[in-house]
Amino acid sequence: MAFVEQHIHDAPTSFWSKYIVSYDHKVIGKQFLWYGIFFLMVGGLMALLIRWTLAYPGVPFPVIGNLLFPHTNGVVPPDTYAMLFTMHGTIMIFFAITPILTGFLGNFCIPLLIGARDMIFPTLNMLSFWFAMASGVLLLGSLCLPLGAAAGGWTSYPTLSTNLGQPGVGQTLWLLSLFLFGVSSTMGAVNYITTVITLRAPGMGYFKMPLTIWGLWLTAILNAIFVPVLGAGLLLLTFDRVFGTTFFLAGAAATSGKGDPILFQHVFWIFGHPEVYILILPAWGLVSDILAFFSRKPAFGYKMTALSLSAITILSTVVYGHHMYTTQMSPLLTQSFMTLTMLISIPSAIFFANWLGTLWKGSIRFDSPMLFALGVVFVFGLGGLTGLYLASTSIDLYLHDTYFVVGHFHYTMAASVLLGGFAGTYFWFPKMFGRMMDERLAKIHFWATMLPLNGIFMGMMMVGWAGMHRRLYNPFIYEFMHKLIPVNQFITFSAVAMGLAQFIFLYNLFKTVFSKNYPAAPANPWNVGTLEWQIPSPAPHYNFLEIPHVKCGPHELGNPNLPDGRDFQYQTEELVKA
Amino acid sequence: MMKNPANEYKRFQNTVAMTVTLITFGMLFGTLFLGYFLARFNAPTWPPVEIENMPKLLPFLSTLVMALSSYTYFKMEKEEEKRKTFWWATFGLGILFLVLQYVLWNALAASGILVSNGQVPSMVYGFTWLHAGHIVVALMTLLYLGRYIFRRPEELTEAKLVNVGKFWHFLGVIWLLMYLMLFVL
Ligand code: HEM
Ligand SMILES: [Cu+2]
Repeated sequence: MAFVEQHIHDAPTSFWSKYIVSYDHKVIGKQFLWYGIFFLMVGGLMALLIRWTLAYPGVPFPVIGNLLFPHTNGVVPPDTYAMLFTMHGTIMIFFAITPILTGFLGNFCIPLLIGARDMIFPTLNMLSFWFAMASGVLLLGSLCLPLGAAAGGWTSYPTLSTNLGQPGVGQTLWLLSLFLFGVSSTMGAVNYITTVITLRAPGMGYFKMPLTIWGLWLTAILNAIFVPVLGAGLLLLTFDRVFGTTFFLAGAAATSGKGDPILFQHVFWIFGHPEVYILILPAWGLVSDILAFFSRKPAFGYKMTALSLSAITILSTVVYGHHMYTTQMSPLLTQSFMTLTMLISIPSAIFFANWLGTLWKGSIRFDSPMLFALGVVFVFGLGGLTGLYLASTSIDLYLHDTYFVVGHFHYTMAASVLLGGFAGTYFWFPKMFGRMMDERLAKIHFWATMLPLNGIFMGMMMVGWAGMHRRLYNPFIYEFMHKLIPVNQFITFSAVAMGLAQFIFLYNLFKTVFSKNYPAAPANPWNVGTLEWQIPSPAPHYNFLEIPHVKCGPHELGNPNLPDGRDFQYQTEELVKA
Repeated sequence: MMKNPANEYKRFQNTVAMTVTLITFGMLFGTLFLGYFLARFNAPTWPPVEIENMPKLLPFLSTLVMALSSYTYFKMEKEEEKRKTFWWATFGLGILFLVLQYVLWNALAASGILVSNGQVPSMVYGFTWLHAGHIVVALMTLLYLGRYIFRRPEELTEAKLVNVGKFWHFLGVIWLLMYLMLFVL
């Protein structure tokens, strides 16, 4: 079937159509970026409140404590503590990371990197952003309720999340908000998948796509398949809360005692484990590209990396049980889940080795995107390795519900994803805004983030290994915990330091976007050959005046036979023999 | 509905999108079915006492209506001269299905099967609510299609007809499965 290119749509003229209800994937991408940054700040503040409580239980939170909790003279109360870690997790996963990595990077990169003029369904794209907006407003609104927002954990397990555990409307709003968010993600996923399948520029076979696209595409596939599973769980729980059904109510909690709380855990983790890959795959993809670009050589084992990412995607669908080792599943099941989980380390090890292979003997340039990408290699290495400890049932019986798990998933998820998001933002910034961010500030930002980050999450793994439970308001009522008070304080100070470091980024961002007389960025500041760097910076609203014809892969760098001293090839050029 | 490459390609794109969409809806209902099977295999006896006096005739009628509407939709796609008639038939059958569901819920409540009676009644109500919700959405897509059939037939593409149809038939299949699970087997 002959490829048919999208027509060029007219440029929007009013402020309204340009920035508010825009159909342009680049604008929608930026909307998701601002959205994510806003929620990062909200979620980050919650994290600091949690950390303060763990380092100084019973001591008022400095500066704004009295404002937030006047009834307790500025001390975080216990029920609020539960609400804080619930909302922190929810906000970070769904309202910060997802918008930034899939909403922003997905929207911004997919059409540009595959040589398309826009997403295939621009209206659906716009709707997807506004659904996300409605969902965010609902969630924030729930913070103002008399009984407070949801407090049953980001996993919202029954019975905690039923009317008995959570009598307030907060939990119901949480369910609705997440359902709306799921609808938004699913709309995005349908759009991304179809765009990648049908709008790749002529000549761009699947194995000529940048790995960033591979990551985003696989994420969209997981999204389309597994977010509806969560959706079903959320709806049934909503029915339990609002209409009196008893899907998940058990024992004395239910009038007739016939529901099954564990059923919710199955449904949640069938979604929940793929979800963590939904979050990380875009970061893996773009790190794979950036490592190659800034080592000035082709990505090592490109095809194997793409295939490993696909294998992980497939395997991620069958390992969810490792979150439920302690629910008295049959030993046969736990052991099967253990084996399957361990299997994931094979493709993981392959692409990780490929990352190292890409770096090997490269002429590495330490620009800010590269620093952040290297950061991902480091923190994901640690996160993945600690996953293996948890995957083993016997060790997990001890570690489950300790801070070791919290350390593990912050390394794999929070740290890798955050650093990956920064790498992408610094890297594509010139294409978004037509200006270069201040490199010196960016590098300071990197180190000011990276060092305390390890202080926080390494610290968490240490206290977890020593037996500190997660979700406790005051773990120091246990005597063995007393010796861990200094470590907890160290973690808290690292968290404050990391929080402060983000203001460097914000300052850099706002300065570059809004200050006048800023020098314009060249079309291709990093000397990279993928399609988006052949068009002007910032990209015009129609992206490509002429749809490019792709002739070679995305990482053709460092070939000594290239003409006129260049060390990279554009994807539209015929491959020069090395 | 001319066959030119641009239309062909558009149709290909819409097919991909619709397939992904139906997979997502399939997963939503699939999750419900998973819950049903877990409950069923863990139950000491089946049917559980609380659903022994389950109404049989109403769900059967609903199934007939659903099947008939799939048939009329099919006819609507094929027979261009009678398209408007078959559109009305399909739409009417969709409304009739919703009415039957409403009657069913009332009948269940009248025979003492209440939402709060345990997991199985919860399923009967919860699953049929969700399915009915989807029927409402499907009726809206049918209205959207009606705009083209009645007002702007020259803009009616095959892709539109086929895709709304896929959703309609899909909901029919889901209903059939629900009917078999909840009321027959
Ligand atoms: C590389 C292989 C990985 C393995 C073997 C692994 C294994 C595990 C296991 C067994 C648990 C359950 C621990 C428990 O609750 O006792 C767990 C928790 C978790 N993992 Fe991983 N993991 C891996 C990678 C990742 C990645 C890449 C992410 C995210 C991007 C991630 C995110 C999480 C999260 C969020 C939790 C905790 C959820 C919760 O209980 O709140 N993991 N992991
Ligand atoms: Cu997992």
